[in-house]
Amino acid sequence: MAEIYQKEIDLKKYSKEELTRYYREMVKIRKFDEHLIRLMMEGKVSGFYHSGIGSESVSVGSITNILRDEDYIYYNHRGCNQKIAKGVPLSKIYGDFLGTVEGTTRGLGAGIVHSADPSRGVLGQCGTIGSQFNIAVGTAYSAKIQNTDRVTLVYFGDGAASREPLHGSLNWAGLYKLPIVYICENNGYAISSTTEETHSVREHIADWAWGYGIPNCVVDGNDVLLMRECVSEAVERAKRGEGPTFIEAKTFRHRGHFEGDTYDYVDPEVLKYWKEHKDPIKNFKKLVIENGICTENDLLNVEEQLELEILQAIKKAEEASLPSPERIYEGLFA
Amino acid sequence: MSTSVKVKTITMREAIVEALHEEMERDEKTVLFGEDVGKFGGINAITRGLYEKFGGKRVFDTPIAETTIVGAALGMAITGLRPIPELQFGDFVGIAFDEVFNKLGKWRFMHGGQMEVPVTLRLPVGIAGGAGPEHSQSPQALFMHAPGVKIAIPSTPYDAKGMLKTAIRDNNAVLFFEHKLLYAMKGEVPEEEYLIPLGKADVKKEGKDVTIIATALQVQTSLEAAEKLAKLGVEAEVVDPRTLAPLDMETILQSVRKTGRVLIVHEEPKTGGCGAEIAAQISEQALFDLQAPIKRIGSPDVPIAQSIYLEQFYRPSEDQIIEAVKELMEY
Ligand SMILES: Cc1ncc(C[n+]2csc(CCOP(=O)(O)OP(=O)(O)O)c2C)c(N)n1
Repeated sequence: MAEIYQKEIDLKKYSKEELTRYYREMVKIRKFDEHLIRLMMEGKVSGFYHSGIGSESVSVGSITNILRDEDYIYYNHRGCNQKIAKGVPLSKIYGDFLGTVEGTTRGLGAGIVHSADPSRGVLGQCGTIGSQFNIAVGTAYSAKIQNTDRVTLVYFGDGAASREPLHGSLNWAGLYKLPIVYICENNGYAISSTTEETHSVREHIADWAWGYGIPNCVVDGNDVLLMRECVSEAVERAKRGEGPTFIEAKTFRHRGHFEGDTYDYVDPEVLKYWKEHKDPIKNFKKLVIENGICTENDLLNVEEQLELEILQAIKKAEEASLPSPERIYEGLFA
Repeated sequence: MSTSVKVKTITMREAIVEALHEEMERDEKTVLFGEDVGKFGGINAITRGLYEKFGGKRVFDTPIAETTIVGAALGMAITGLRPIPELQFGDFVGIAFDEVFNKLGKWRFMHGGQMEVPVTLRLPVGIAGGAGPEHSQSPQALFMHAPGVKIAIPSTPYDAKGMLKTAIRDNNAVLFFEHKLLYAMKGEVPEEEYLIPLGKADVKKEGKDVTIIATALQVQTSLEAAEKLAKLGVEAEVVDPRTLAPLDMETILQSVRKTGRVLIVHEEPKTGGCGAEIAAQISEQALFDLQAPIKRIGSPDVPIAQSIYLEQFYRPSEDQIIEAVKELMEY
């Protein structure tokens, strides 16, 4: 059965700079998200948006200071978090939402689904959620056969974990000892269905990996440092050629499945608990201030600087032109 | 084939095996995988000798997991490899439908044109001796409706070799359909290396009275029918599109404008088969060159029976072709 990952975190192991960076990345993601929602309210962005507020720590803890540009990720549909942590410029992501040529897709308007930045190892996302499991094993096989130590991280929700391809993928990854880390962002819900309602598992989703001989664990995804420790062990194992790891990160959605979702299937008390006691940013802020690593003022400066950065990114994305109608005929074939 | 080229006579199976060997040798980024394709050499003996020559990393047996086979091919392709996966039977493409329809053909486009998808997916198709309803189909037309994939369907050893080599070198996804009954068919192939471009139809036999457009095994059936028709005084032209996407309408229309009569023959169910699309394009572009309605012969719109006796009634026959051409000649 999957173990609960636990570790005494020695804060002294981290420099102030590094810890500030985690804070900065998490706030960047949250602010990105809040501003995007504002743009939706203003009618400038259409389509579905799956907000990642509440689980910034899952992405930052698994990417920042762990992955290099040459490592690969397949993000999930709540995955602006992961794209930002992997370094995709904000103006490019906003550009995708606004449908301007600044976007990674140069105006196709991909938004959360289907933007990519191969130069930073961001290889895309499947609109049919969970189909990335298979693609990820191909990528990991590719790294192995080309004798690189590139690692593939594949992100997915607890709902997507129900998809059949997960099992084909785990079988291959275990069989061929592929350098791949599965990160299940378990926020308890797949739209309105709870994890318990849709999964036949012993106890945790990570238990499945056990059957394929793949090391696995469950971790508190809202603790960015714990997440970081856990994932870096997995990434190191992959780099050493010891094969895949399955990590189930427990978290919760602060907002509905998509913007506009009434979110009335969730007990308000439970939601309140997560917002008040498990907010990854709030808790991390408290941790670094209480331990005398950063001052309130340090962090305020970070926030203010980010606010400016984001407004500039939005401006750049908004000022770019819309594509010409011919855009839809470009890029089908190489 | 011009007489100055040195040729050999080999089967289509041998032609495909040669193409794979040559391309695997040429480019070390090529990787070949599928069910039983390694030591065993594939259930149709198409991958024979590759495992021994290129080793278990580049040629490997996979679990029975079609979804993973095709999905993994995409992941390999966008990260620098040139994968050549095989589905044991083309019918199984249904299992990997999402991977083919939504991923191979769309990944590059939907992510802004930033990646290349050099996958060559080999799919054996066709009725071949009592294989039953889920092992005898020809599902290629489904993918004419899927922008982003190329569809190759050769009918001779010569075409199979030259087209497969091109497909493997192509930086896009190519679905390569091989009719199982053609594997043992013999034909002339140059000793020297050659390539056949995708998107180029071939006039297999010239004629002035009627155009027969046929794919895969039906090209052979049509050629035999054409010989008999010649004895009846009808000169049929046989055109093999060779790829269904891109579809070489130019060559097809040229022939139609010459003959004014069209018969389309394929083994897919008639409804929604590739003939439906080809006929529609002809009527859009050459209606007034026609002297008769466009005719189609396909399989009946029912699942293929297991019975080897009944099976033959699904496959377009020489007699059917001759009858249909006679009807066309009456207009
Ligand atoms: C194959 C497929 N089935 C259904 C959907 C529709 N859909 C999109 S997100 C979603 C729920 C996903 O839940 P989960 O994976 O837990 O992620 P979360 O939204 O909770 O982050 C569903 C059903 C889809 N996009 N693809």
